Amino acid sequence: MSYEKLLETNISGESAKAWKASGKKAVGYVCCHVPTEILIAADVMPVRLRATNCVDSSDAEAWMSSFSCSFAKSVLQYLMNGTYDLDGLVQSDGCMMATRILDNWSHIAKKNGKAQFIHQIGAPRITNEISIGYYKAELQTLADKLGAFSGKAVTDEGLKSAAAKTNEVRGLIAQLFTLRKEAKVSGTEALRIMLANCDLTIDEYIAALGEFIADAKGRGPIKARARLMMIGSALDNPEYIRVIEDKGGLVVADALCFGARSFGEKLVIDDKDVLGSIADYYLTRNTCPRALDNRPAIHKEIVDTCKAYDIQGIIYEKMQNCECWGGESYYLEPDLKAIGVPMLQVEREEQMANAGQLAIRAEAFVEMIEK
Amino acid sequence: MATQNFDPTKPVNMIDLTCNQVDSIYQHMLSKGMPEVMWTVDIQKYVWEEVRDAKKNGKKLIAFGGPVPVTIIRAFDCIPFFLDTIPTRIASMEDLAGRYIDETEKYAPTSTCAIDKVQIGVALKGEFGIDIDAFVHATVPCDSARIAYPMMERLFGCPCFTFDCPFRHDEKGYAYLAQQIEAFIPFMEELTGLKWDAGRYEKFKGIMEESNKAFDLLTQLGDLRKKTPCVLPGRMLVLNEIVAPLAGTEACTAMLQTQLEMGNMLADMGMTATRCPEERYRVCLMQNMLWSNTGIMDWMEKCYGAITVMDGFGYQDGVIFDDLDNWERVKMQTAESMLLTPMIHGATGPTEYWLKVIDKMYEDYKVNVSIFMGHVGCKHTWASGKIVTDYIQQKFGIPTLYVDVDAIDPRYKSNDELRAQIGEYFESVVGAENFCK
Repeated sequence: MSYEKLLETNISGESAKAWKASGKKAVGYVCCHVPTEILIAADVMPVRLRATNCVDSSDAEAWMSSFSCSFAKSVLQYLMNGTYDLDGLVQSDGCMMATRILDNWSHIAKKNGKAQFIHQIGAPRITNEISIGYYKAELQTLADKLGAFSGKAVTDEGLKSAAAKTNEVRGLIAQLFTLRKEAKVSGTEALRIMLANCDLTIDEYIAALGEFIADAKGRGPIKARARLMMIGSALDNPEYIRVIEDKGGLVVADALCFGARSFGEKLVIDDKDVLGSIADYYLTRNTCPRALDNRPAIHKEIVDTCKAYDIQGIIYEKMQNCECWGGESYYLEPDLKAIGVPMLQVEREEQMANAGQLAIRAEAFVEMIEK
Repeated sequence: MATQNFDPTKPVNMIDLTCNQVDSIYQHMLSKGMPEVMWTVDIQKYVWEEVRDAKKNGKKLIAFGGPVPVTIIRAFDCIPFFLDTIPTRIASMEDLAGRYIDETEKYAPTSTCAIDKVQIGVALKGEFGIDIDAFVHATVPCDSARIAYPMMERLFGCPCFTFDCPFRHDEKGYAYLAQQIEAFIPFMEELTGLKWDAGRYEKFKGIMEESNKAFDLLTQLGDLRKKTPCVLPGRMLVLNEIVAPLAGTEACTAMLQTQLEMGNMLADMGMTATRCPEERYRVCLMQNMLWSNTGIMDWMEKCYGAITVMDGFGYQDGVIFDDLDNWERVKMQTAESMLLTPMIHGATGPTEYWLKVIDKMYEDYKVNVSIFMGHVGCKHTWASGKIVTDYIQQKFGIPTLYVDVDAIDPRYKSNDELRAQIGEYFESVVGAENFCK
């Protein structure tokens, strides 16, 4: 198998279609607090919903209004127009926009007579023993319902086996990040590769990514004027990074929820409490400032990454109407200033409407920070 | 810019400024000889002066945001300070609201809810005018609050406690919140140096009994609003929003009691709250209250005989605590009542919760004009808007007017533009006669 499909940015329904053709279920999910291990253990193909290359979300806007985030609207658009043809949707309340994708899709699907497995997971916004217990109970409910839906009960053994596979992916992504650090893989390419995880089966993804890494290790470093890190709202469009890299920046690290944040460190399972280990892992890792008690930790991770990756500048992209990633600059900027890393803040929409302006700002930023 | 409410060259003391403004209104009404409505200002004086004088009275001041157990805070002899009362109080003053909104927009997106932008702005400028001993907040109502509260925690630099509200309001969610209420007790003990012992619990029970009385009165007031014609003007909905920090106080009960007596008296006299000859329309503002222009309700009453019988924020749904000696039961009911706080009840969970609130409001209050006066900061309600308004059309046969407003920032839309939008709807869709022409 070639790894070419890793670099395809358009959403491909091929894997899901083939999976479904074999009599199994494929279910979409939204946000970082849906543990894919549970879906895999239920023999359900997890498809992380994204909206890459969506150029018109006007049908969805009629439901969600112009005051909603364009990522959420575009995901709903893809559900409505059949870009995604799946058996259901699982969503955690990452933010209120994510919850409204589920509400609207549930309503629209019902109205159109389309049978769907719909499930919402309550993901706490603080991390302590009480909240992990609640989240674990939420995951148990998901596991029970998914098992009943797919016909394959979720067991501890199934979860451990699934975790072994997701950990294999995490290990490969860690290698990809080493290649990024060595400037052998561009930010554009890296995001493409990470996005492919959304719609390939996990076995397809492991095989393709392994091949890619073996190949990329032999590359020479990419010449660039400045080493950059991207942080901010859900970014599922590699073209956005390409505009920046075309101006001489090289995005060698990120703190994006379709990037580094969606993979993280390896999941360690305690045999005595398998689901509890999964709950603890997903709630404790700092994927997104949706939580109320993880801001300082997220900022520290960003600062540490800057040091480890020799970052010269950060690009902080904020989606219009994305509140979660809206207010980080007040405390993050001084922390970055303390280590001599400037930050460029840019506002964006899901649709690439301001590429020219972004290019000008990125070029000026690169000129300012290049050594 | 309209009136200058402060000297922009000097720091503002928000609490003193507000107390002085409320006192001016009080003195004005006294001088005009309006004893029958003094209670509407008495309660405002009580709220603001209680906060201003907390330290003078040897009490700790606890700022709070979102639904938190205010009765427990009072049981520990502390004064709860509901931060939302600042933006709602100054919303009609564009210079003052603008001062804080603009300050926050240096760091946060303009799309952030202006309720939070005002609060952060006051904190950034250090202009509350009082020292806060602790900050207690919840993870609802919305994503804007979730940016604002952690930021304010760091700006306040005081002990903080966060209640994580579950997305779904079910038994599992109540139990989750009840566990956190249990954890809140040691936080309060450490903060105050007071023990949650039998004596404290007796005090708490007294507060809860008072709170039960207030909720019963609110229910009766709600029932009174259901009558046709409605005798209570839309503005009373705004006043009743003051109850959040006052739970369990005699002042709150007394205010609601007076309001009920006044309402009953007007009903007995066969009067209507509208300022034109008769009540013609019963309006529901299905989202937030428009604090930046509450006069719009007076205008609808005067020009169209349209009385705002209920709004999404004013709608009270709660519980009567039925076994105050049973702490486990009290915790579960407290959790339930926290999640039934106005606009937490309908807007923070799945959209179906909002539909339930709509059912109760539209059926019980005999609503025949539906207006989505949508606060632009309340994006999660906009994102459910079509589901809800389609439901209203289908079930009640009422077309809903969508108007985008900023509930706090009066600069967003002028009074004239708003009146034009609403007036056009009344005259062309509802077919109403304009008595002001």
